[in-house]
Amino acid sequence: MCAICYSSCPAKAIDIIYYDINSLTKYLENAKEEYRSDSLVILCKGSAPDFQDVETLFGISEFIPLSVPCVGRIPPELLLKALSHMGINKIYILACDEDYCRFERGSSITEHRITALNVFLEQFDYGKELIKLERNSLKVKADRNKCINCGNCVFYCPYDAAKLEHGAASFDLELCRGCGLCVTLCPAFALDLEHWEEDRISALISDLSKEKKKTDILVLRCQWSVFPKLDEEFDSNVHIMDMPCAARVDPLHILEAFRQGIEGILIAACPEEDCKSKTGSKEAKRSATALKKTLSQVGLEERFHFCSVSPRYPEAFREELKQFKVRIESACSKEVRQ
Amino acid sequence: MIVTAQKPLDEILDFLSPYNSILIAGCDGCTQPPRGLREARTLAQLLELGGKLRSKNFNLRVTTLPKQCDSYLTLTTLKTQIADIEAILSLACGLGVQTITQVLPDCPAFPSQNTLFIGAEIREDSTLEERCAACGDCMLAITGGICPIARCAKSLLNGPCGGSQQGKCEIDPEKDCAWDLVIKRLEKLGRVSALEEIRAPRNFGQVVRPGRIIG
Repeated sequence: MCAICYSSCPAKAIDIIYYDINSLTKYLENAKEEYRSDSLVILCKGSAPDFQDVETLFGISEFIPLSVPCVGRIPPELLLKALSHMGINKIYILACDEDYCRFERGSSITEHRITALNVFLEQFDYGKELIKLERNSLKVKADRNKCINCGNCVFYCPYDAAKLEHGAASFDLELCRGCGLCVTLCPAFALDLEHWEEDRISALISDLSKEKKKTDILVLRCQWSVFPKLDEEFDSNVHIMDMPCAARVDPLHILEAFRQGIEGILIAACPEEDCKSKTGSKEAKRSATALKKTLSQVGLEERFHFCSVSPRYPEAFREELKQFKVRIESACSKEVRQ
Repeated sequence: MIVTAQKPLDEILDFLSPYNSILIAGCDGCTQPPRGLREARTLAQLLELGGKLRSKNFNLRVTTLPKQCDSYLTLTTLKTQIADIEAILSLACGLGVQTITQVLPDCPAFPSQNTLFIGAEIREDSTLEERCAACGDCMLAITGGICPIARCAKSLLNGPCGGSQQGKCEIDPEKDCAWDLVIKRLEKLGRVSALEEIRAPRNFGQVVRPGRIIG
């Protein structure tokens, strides 16, 4: 589902389900009105799940945001169209590091395209370096002082990035692919994942609970399992939290959320064969099965659901969410009646 | 490592019911999965959820210590944290609870775990399997590094029995026959003749309970 074929096809002979050039153009036209900026920032979800660090990375505070799963899917034609016809004067692209790209070649192809486009634009007097590329990858952070030397991270890392050295875990960041499995399994909170830090997720969950809706549903979703529409909106009681991989879903966060009054929690993971982090989906499923058993001890097993969905089937996630929502809302109204 | 499994929550809530202020103490030692700070916090959340169902509001605090079987470490780490604590809930193996009881006799300590066995974690299917029975008379040198005491359902000294079927055990076809593994291993090492000698029944008279070693 990388759509690199789509963005590369010179004959426009390929159709795609998500983010085709028409929907991207429409989005840009609307966003241009909304954000009133002439700078466009395109992020790959893998390199930065939100736009918080754009100012630090590119030195701009006002921009049109566009987040896509892999920048390799953006046709060069869209960039040219934006610069020539849509009043955009500068494009900033944040891609993943080449060896971190979830779609193998999306990041490297983007670099080649940008180099060629910049040469082309300069030759036609549009200006120099109109498209700027930066790279970023979100990886594990280890705190030696908290490590208890148990070796869980070494045992479970699907990329053999962890090792025990001089009495503490250390990581080869060249090998780390940021799935977050080790963070979720670390018994001592000695590991964290950039952007998906333990405390940050806890704080987001607490914030949700403060703004209590009627029946709050939290969806912890692998960001590669669902490609949302550019203008996707959910009911106000459905709170979507994208994760780098379902392996980063922490049972502790789920218990925290239930304790703070969230009524239903849905985990959306990729099918095992589609997992972008080798064992991530498998481990997430195992952990969810164990958690469901635990939750049955406090009567919450029906409030928790794990599902495997894939962008291959665009309606799969919405269907799962719809059914889950019905289940939770009827369970809640039953409880109120009792 | 020592393998433990969490007790049913109801059992824990039952024995904690007379208390309100509870310290949940993790152990960073040898239990698998490691029952450290993460497990302590997880159990705290679970107890709060379970307490709510019984209209009980616990005042829970969490801590962890390097190893609860070390009485000095346990005393020095816990004594400063129990001023207003009515009971300690330990996440360690059975040893941890007993060490706490010994060093802090005025504070009741309870186990949150059932201590199961000395075992290993199998990565492929995420299981924990018993590997050592702490029998006090190790025969791994003869059996090619595979323990029939812990891994044979009958702890046979001269195996396999007639229930070994295609390398699996008759009591559970999911489990390997330990003696089948032993023989294959010894064949590989060219030492299968070592099994020709019939081993006499173990002398349980040498196994003294409670165990004690001086020095």
